[in-house]
Amino acid sequence: MPELPELNPVIHGKLRLALLSLLTGVEEAEFTWLRSKTGSTDGNLGAQLLKLEEAGYISVKKKFVLRKPQTLYSMTEAGHRALTEYVVALKQLLGGAIGD
Amino acid sequence: MTGNAEELDLKERLNLIETMIAEGRRTTESWGWTFVLWGVAYYVAIAWATLGHSTLAWPVTMIAAGVLTVIMASRSAGKRPETTVGRAMTAIWLAMGISTFTVMLSLGMSGRLDLHNSVAIVGAMLGAANATSSIILKWKMQFACAVVWWASAVVGCFTSDNVTSIAFLAAIFFCQIVFGLYGMIAQSRKQKTARAGQGVSHA
Repeated sequence: MPELPELNPVIHGKLRLALLSLLTGVEEAEFTWLRSKTGSTDGNLGAQLLKLEEAGYISVKKKFVLRKPQTLYSMTEAGHRALTEYVVALKQLLGGAIGD
Repeated sequence: MTGNAEELDLKERLNLIETMIAEGRRTTESWGWTFVLWGVAYYVAIAWATLGHSTLAWPVTMIAAGVLTVIMASRSAGKRPETTVGRAMTAIWLAMGISTFTVMLSLGMSGRLDLHNSVAIVGAMLGAANATSSIILKWKMQFACAVVWWASAVVGCFTSDNVTSIAFLAAIFFCQIVFGLYGMIAQSRKQKTARAGQGVSHA
C-alpha cells in the first residue's frame, strides 16, 4: 500500500487555506478585501497573514492611496507551489479514504 | 477523530479552496451599477436631444456619465482585488467608450450624424464589447445582450426613424437597465450566500 502524504501544517489552518485560495485567483488584494471575504477579525487575519508571509507564501506591499495607507498582499511562487502540492496531497488522501 | 469525520473535514477543505478561488475571481459582477448608470445616461441624452433640440446633449451627458463612473469606481476600487480578468474588462469598455465617443463626436461636428448611423454605430460597438466580455466571463446572459445590440444596429440600417428609435430604446432598456439590475441582484445574493457559508474566520 503506498504511503499517504503529509498535509502542510502552515496551509492546513482553515483561515490560512482560505487566504491562499483567495490570493491564487487574484494578482494582489487589500487587507480589507481579504477581511470581508473571510469574515475574520483584524487581529486574527493579521496573525495568519504574518504566518503565511513568514513561510514565504505571500508577499506584502504597503502604499498610500489618497493619503490613506493600503496594505496589499500577493501570492509568491512558493505559495502557488505549496497550495498545488497541498491540493494534490488532499486529493490523494481523499482517494485513499474512498478506496478503503 | 474517526475516519469518516476526518474524510469529511478534508472534503470541507477541498470545497473551501474551490469556493475561495471562485470568490477571488468574481470581480466583474459588481459592475451592474455601471450598466444601469449608462442606461439612464442614454435616456437622459435622448430626452434632452429630442425635447431640448440641443447638440450638446449627447457629448455633455456622455462626459458626465464617464466622470461619474470613474468617481464611483475609484471609491470602491480599494475593495476589489487586482485581477487579469478585471483589467481585461476595463480595457474592453474603455476602448469601446473612447472609440464610440471619437466617431460620434467627429460625425456630429462634420454634420453627418443622423439617427440611423448613430444607432448602427452604438449598437455595433456595444454588441462587440458585450460579446467580448461575455466570452471571457462565459456569461450567456451578456451574450444575449450583445445579440440584442447587434439586432438594433441592423434595424437602424434598414428601417424608418420610428422603428429605429423604438429598437434603440428597447435595447437600452433590456441590455442596460434590466441586465444591470439583474447583475446587482445576483451580486447581492452571492454576497449574502458567501457570508452565510464561509465559516473560515478562525485559523
